[in-house]
Amino acid sequence: MGLGRRLYDGDTRFRFMRVWKRAAVASALVILVGLASLGIRGLNLGIDFEGGVSWELPSGGVAVEEIRDGIGDLGLADATIQTLTAGGEERVRVRAETDATDDDAAVSDRLAEITGSDRDDVSFNEVGPSWGQEITDKAVRALVVFLVLITLYVSLRFEFKMALAILVGLLHDLLVTVGVYSVSGLEVTPATVVSILTILGYSIYDGIVVFDKVDENTRLVSSTKGVNYSDMMDLSLNQTLMRSMNTTIVAVIPIASLLIIGSLVLGATTLQEFAFALLVGLLSGAYSSLFIASPLLAALKEREPRYADVRRRIAARAGARTTAPADDVVVVDEPTADATSAGVGSAASTAPTVTRAAPTAPTTRPAGVIAPRPRKKRR
Amino acid sequence: MRRRMLVSLVLTTLLAAAALGATLASGNTPNLGLDLQGGASVVLQPEGDVPSDSINQAIEIIRNRVDALGVAEPEITRQGDAIVVQLPGVRDQERALEVVGQTAELRFRPVLQVVPAVDAAALEELSTSTTAPGDPTATTVPGDPSAPTATTAVGGEPAAPEAPSTTVATEGPTTTGAGTGTGTGEVGLPLQDPAPSTTVAPDPGPTTVTTAPADGGSTTAPTAPADGRSTTSTSAPDPDDPCQLGGGTTPSEGDTLDAQITVRGPDVTGIQGAPDEIEDCYVLGPVPTASDGERLIGSVVSSAEARLDGVWRVSLSFTSDGLDGFNETSALCFGADPTCPTQQLAIVLDGRVESAPTIQAPSFEAGDVSISGSEQDPFSEGEAKDLALVLRFGALPVELVPQTVQEVSPTLGRESLDAGVAAGAVGVVAVVLYLLLYYRALGLVVVLSLAVWAALNWSIITYLSASSGLALSLAGVTGLVVSIGVTVDSYIVYFERLKDEVRSGKTLRSSVDRGFSRAFRTILAANVASFIGAATLYVLTVGAVRGFAFFLALATVLDVFVAYFFTRPLVSILARSRVFTEARHLGVARGLGVRRGAAPATATPAVTGGGGT
Repeated sequence: MGLGRRLYDGDTRFRFMRVWKRAAVASALVILVGLASLGIRGLNLGIDFEGGVSWELPSGGVAVEEIRDGIGDLGLADATIQTLTAGGEERVRVRAETDATDDDAAVSDRLAEITGSDRDDVSFNEVGPSWGQEITDKAVRALVVFLVLITLYVSLRFEFKMALAILVGLLHDLLVTVGVYSVSGLEVTPATVVSILTILGYSIYDGIVVFDKVDENTRLVSSTKGVNYSDMMDLSLNQTLMRSMNTTIVAVIPIASLLIIGSLVLGATTLQEFAFALLVGLLSGAYSSLFIASPLLAALKEREPRYADVRRRIAARAGARTTAPADDVVVVDEPTADATSAGVGSAASTAPTVTRAAPTAPTTRPAGVIAPRPRKKRR
Repeated sequence: MRRRMLVSLVLTTLLAAAALGATLASGNTPNLGLDLQGGASVVLQPEGDVPSDSINQAIEIIRNRVDALGVAEPEITRQGDAIVVQLPGVRDQERALEVVGQTAELRFRPVLQVVPAVDAAALEELSTSTTAPGDPTATTVPGDPSAPTATTAVGGEPAAPEAPSTTVATEGPTTTGAGTGTGTGEVGLPLQDPAPSTTVAPDPGPTTVTTAPADGGSTTAPTAPADGRSTTSTSAPDPDDPCQLGGGTTPSEGDTLDAQITVRGPDVTGIQGAPDEIEDCYVLGPVPTASDGERLIGSVVSSAEARLDGVWRVSLSFTSDGLDGFNETSALCFGADPTCPTQQLAIVLDGRVESAPTIQAPSFEAGDVSISGSEQDPFSEGEAKDLALVLRFGALPVELVPQTVQEVSPTLGRESLDAGVAAGAVGVVAVVLYLLLYYRALGLVVVLSLAVWAALNWSIITYLSASSGLALSLAGVTGLVVSIGVTVDSYIVYFERLKDEVRSGKTLRSSVDRGFSRAFRTILAANVASFIGAATLYVLTVGAVRGFAFFLALATVLDVFVAYFFTRPLVSILARSRVFTEARHLGVARGLGVRRGAAPATATPAVTGGGGT
């Protein structure tokens, strides 16, 4: 059976829980680079956040230097002037401090004159510094409230550990996107903020769909069936893999369309601002729900006495038959919740003491035997 | 069960069709935001701490100014302390923003003349009736531009005046008694007392306050400089009078303290049944200067309050210097000095006469000034409170500081819109193709569901555009495009679930309902989370993010609605059709990966004992 067919049938058996370490290292590297860049170069914040004035108009093929010379006497000798090429038309953007010039209209006139553009084609934007700060504060506050509410909701609807895993996944996406923006030096505009929030929405949606499946599959965890929590998590991820892929594909199609048709072909730079952040975040989100949030949830759950016990029993039985692969055997600290090490796949032990009877194991069956497929209890 | 499904399906389809039909029939289209059609926007914040009332007053003033500019769909909203003014499609952006941002000042100006601003046709018609001979009143109000109104009123014509001033006119003979005022020219400043329904009275006690000019109080004053000839000359629209030309002045244009200005004000000479927006035209003199050099502007007012003693009135207190200045002007007006021939002193806020009470005493004691309505048209509670607010605002005008200014060129906006629409269309087509390829006939279900979803969404958006001025911005368009993804995802969750059920060996029929109830749990959980996010953003942010959040939240709600009331019954009914399930290329069975002859159970992962749904 080909991979495509197996994907289609939800019949893949990728062991996501095995690669979590590598994934975590890769993510940490990307995030570290982003943070370092953030510390050194910071973000290229648009005037909506920092305050300032900006003009934008078709450049008419006039060179940046010529424009600079033309508006120098209006107090804009130090203005940032950049050209934006999108679609067939080259546009130019002039940006300066709020009080750089007294007469904004004169600058607009002059720019139109230099570039030979229609006066109507000049867009102007001015943001006072305090307002920019206010916008930023509001966005940050909204983000914090947003995260708190989502945590509360997921905790109530599912459980706190899932909320925590989703939250970590979100932070991961946020850091990656911010890092990409810092490294690339792309301007952060309100459009970027909207996009990042969208990504968080997707991430949460995705996380909930996966965890809903996990929630449903939890009862499969049993030492008698030889299924520990991580195995179940792998199963759930594989089962929802096609959905995740489809969702990502379906989400990427319109965004790619915005990016390619909207900004590259038709030249709407604002759409580009939206779409780029969306694309980065979406990919990061798809990755984090598989490789960051889910393994984290598994790690958290494996430390619960009940699941730790299942794992130990399976390991013990496997140990007795000496067929278990080394890293499938695990010692778990005392089944108290305050253990500090990550616990999954960390060390091997051959003779764990069974301190508690597994609640779901009334009979013992040799591991390795394929269990009969359980009939689901459905409502 | 089956019947209920059918009913639900039919009802939802009808609802969507009806909503779309109504939208198309009414010709509603969404308002485009600034960034999509070009225009100007400014966010204004008051300097320092300002009472909430004053901000509302400032918004009212800005609204008047914007209306005078003739902007089609202005959006003026208050967000906290900030006033967000959006003027999509406005032509002269710089001037518009300049006009909007000016600080409004309350001023007192003597009324030189009141011209009823009726439209040219009505004026024409009325001017012929004015000349009707044999009507004694026709001559009692000569030289009065508002004569037509008065005359027809007497003649029992529909132009029954609602204001005391016209009542005065109907009492004809008394009015002429004083017809020798100064300022009489050929066309001069012919005046009738339009005495608005307010009168400033010394307040010797509620009972003795003379409020209404209707009983002749004002008519005895030499206010109607008149001669027969001016009747005809002023009845015709005066080309020099902006009010009569219907153009109106832009508020605050040329509105300097020393200028004589012509502005609009409350309709006191109005024709019954005339639209409310027809306002009288006031010719006002310069703002009086007191002997100590102080001008009679809003800062002379220390407080103003609406109160009820018998009738609603506004009592007014001045600063001590202000009172002296006010009394000087009062004396002039009371004596019908050439600078104040009508005895009326107009209260002007931002180029609009709010009220023009007749001065009834040469001087006032502190705290004794009150303005009341006339006997014919007493103040309502609302009118009194509004006037008090205007006067209080005058005492503390709000100085607004622009926080952000945005001018978007119409061509840029147009390009963004075209690009957004094109990208959206290509995106939707691509998504649909992908789903058809992947899910076969179920892909058709997605197309139909999306169509219902889109019809409802579009109807709601256009309805809100028309009713509450919701504007579709670029961020909103992005929200919509993104919500397509979220919506389609719901179907993916459902179909994948269906696939699981079918693979575990059930028939398609029995899988459909079970699959849905499980999938709907997931869809609901995920959509609730999306909605919480969108609602949080909507409440806590401003600007672009807010527009985005609104459209996302709307789409989320509609998604759940359509999934439950349309998609579920549709799939359930289709699943009973052999053609639908087993067609060679489109069949659902094929779309769900059920292969002929393959035992479904083999598809379950053995390692875990299967069991996954």
